[in-house]
Amino acid sequence: MLSRRHFLSAGAGAATLLASQPRLARAEGSQVVVGTWGGDYGQLLSDLIDKPLLAPKGVEVLQDVANADPRKTKLLAERQSRRGSMDVACLSDSDHYLVAGTNVFETVDATKVPRLDKVFPALRTDTAIPHIYSAQVILYNVNQVKTPPTSWADLWDPKWKGRVGLADILYPNNTLMAALAGGGSVSNYDPGEKKLMELRSLDVKIYPSNEALAAALKSEEVWLTSMWLARGFMWKKSGIPLSHVVPKEGAVSIVFEASVPRNARNKDGGFAYLEAMLDAKAQVAFADKMGYVPTVSDAVLPQDLAKQVSLTEEDRAKLLKPDYKYLTERSQRTLDFWNKQFKG
Amino acid sequence: MALLVLPACLLVLGLLIGPMILMFRISLNHFSPTQLMVEAFSFDNYVRAAQDPYYQEIILTTLGMALLCTALTLVIAYPAAYWLGRLQNRWKSLVVIATLFPLLVGNVVRSAGWMALFERDGLINVTLRRLHLISEPLTLMYTPKAVVFGIIAVVLPYMILTISAVIENIPRDLEDAASNLGAPGLKIFWRVILPLSAPGVAAGSILVFVLCMNTYATAVLLGGPRFKMMAPAIFDQFVRGNNWPMGATLAFMLLAVTMSFTIFGSIAFARRYRLR
Repeated sequence: MLSRRHFLSAGAGAATLLASQPRLARAEGSQVVVGTWGGDYGQLLSDLIDKPLLAPKGVEVLQDVANADPRKTKLLAERQSRRGSMDVACLSDSDHYLVAGTNVFETVDATKVPRLDKVFPALRTDTAIPHIYSAQVILYNVNQVKTPPTSWADLWDPKWKGRVGLADILYPNNTLMAALAGGGSVSNYDPGEKKLMELRSLDVKIYPSNEALAAALKSEEVWLTSMWLARGFMWKKSGIPLSHVVPKEGAVSIVFEASVPRNARNKDGGFAYLEAMLDAKAQVAFADKMGYVPTVSDAVLPQDLAKQVSLTEEDRAKLLKPDYKYLTERSQRTLDFWNKQFKG
Repeated sequence: MALLVLPACLLVLGLLIGPMILMFRISLNHFSPTQLMVEAFSFDNYVRAAQDPYYQEIILTTLGMALLCTALTLVIAYPAAYWLGRLQNRWKSLVVIATLFPLLVGNVVRSAGWMALFERDGLINVTLRRLHLISEPLTLMYTPKAVVFGIIAVVLPYMILTISAVIENIPRDLEDAASNLGAPGLKIFWRVILPLSAPGVAAGSILVFVLCMNTYATAVLLGGPRFKMMAPAIFDQFVRGNNWPMGATLAFMLLAVTMSFTIFGSIAFARRYRLR
């Protein structure tokens, strides 16, 4: 049974806890929770942004590490909550478009993030900063593929039967690639369905993750794939004999973005973090380590590096921006077709 | 005394029944690619999923895999459980710990180990090639066989420990008595040991069947993208498709199939062995 003395001491404890709340709230002012990918990306954020740029200002950064899908799900699940669990959420452009459509993110402008003025206009959105970007290209094994393909359609050449590998997790991008090969566009995926079924009859290999695909490229189980140029750069650096081609139908861009959720506990800290993500030096270092291209005009890459990770003037003309509205509205059909028909 | 079960009941009510009611409500909503979830009250998702040949096939695959893995696990586990149940020396607790040992390693880590074994340039293929037994590597990864191996490795300890706990309590005298009356070994097993250990077999099989029906990591990592069981399909709808209503619907369908088989299986088993 609870004695009166115990009851009083428990009550005093609760009172102390309540009295300490304002202090707790102030302490949160110097802490920013960043929902991000782990691995190299998370490590580089920590090395290039958290420690050199934010720690000196007294901002402590906590990483909430997960893949994009759980983070997206968390943002959607928390959207009715008064206080969310993240101050910054990192997502790819298409995921960001989907989540932003549910009014989850704060608007971003130059008053909150001054370096937004340096961002390339084509990459700007109302609710995110573009952190880094790359393009979807053809990667091929230089030892096995003597005449490199020049277009997405070339991957359907029967001479590559059983030698084309795709990552399952990139199913929307693979569907778009097939659509482009079949005469479609970023706003018309219909031809992609027929092309994917043709590719299936050409014994295309599907791997559950990018890492599994990299292992298959390394063991030469497959020789060609559709992948981000930045990934190709990293895989080349790890010793896989690869080169890339920007297909003549066009290379689709991918932008990795960061936003501040409306229910963030520390919005000021969140915007300070977005500002730091646009730091020119940090962006050049990201390009050097991960192969993703800077999104700000004052981050100039060394010529050698630029040659490997950037697109040439001619290739940049072939860069295609996804039609986010179209791909979001079609998302269920794209997933169902990929699962039920193509993989089924 | 009844109050003793209160904490457990509250926990189950709060953390299981509550979210399940919420999930059931979600399953009655509609999906919109832009708004994600639209408030509704219909069983459309259930009708659509039940009529879709894709989901019918996934349910059948899941059920088939679960029944096959349960049966194989039972066959493999029973002799080990009998030996463990009859073991009466000081090594017994060490053997129990050794049986439990695989459970100390997470499903994903364990599957990663199997991947290292099954891959194109994994241990099995490298060994067979070095021994000149094969010229081209065998396809072991991303096959249903790999999933069966993976699942059995996960669930085996549950079956062994459940059955051995029952066998431990079967008096050895009964076997001796049957033997003295002239029954051969197989008959003793069939007429004495198996009926008396039936409660353990039933409990172990139910436990293993439920675990197999809900397999996720093993199916994804060893089965590959083309092999589909229900748990990965549910994940696909929730997380990749952002279609929570359909994800919740599939989760309830899986629950219904698992519960039906568990209940009918238990009743049939109880009738066969006259259990109460």
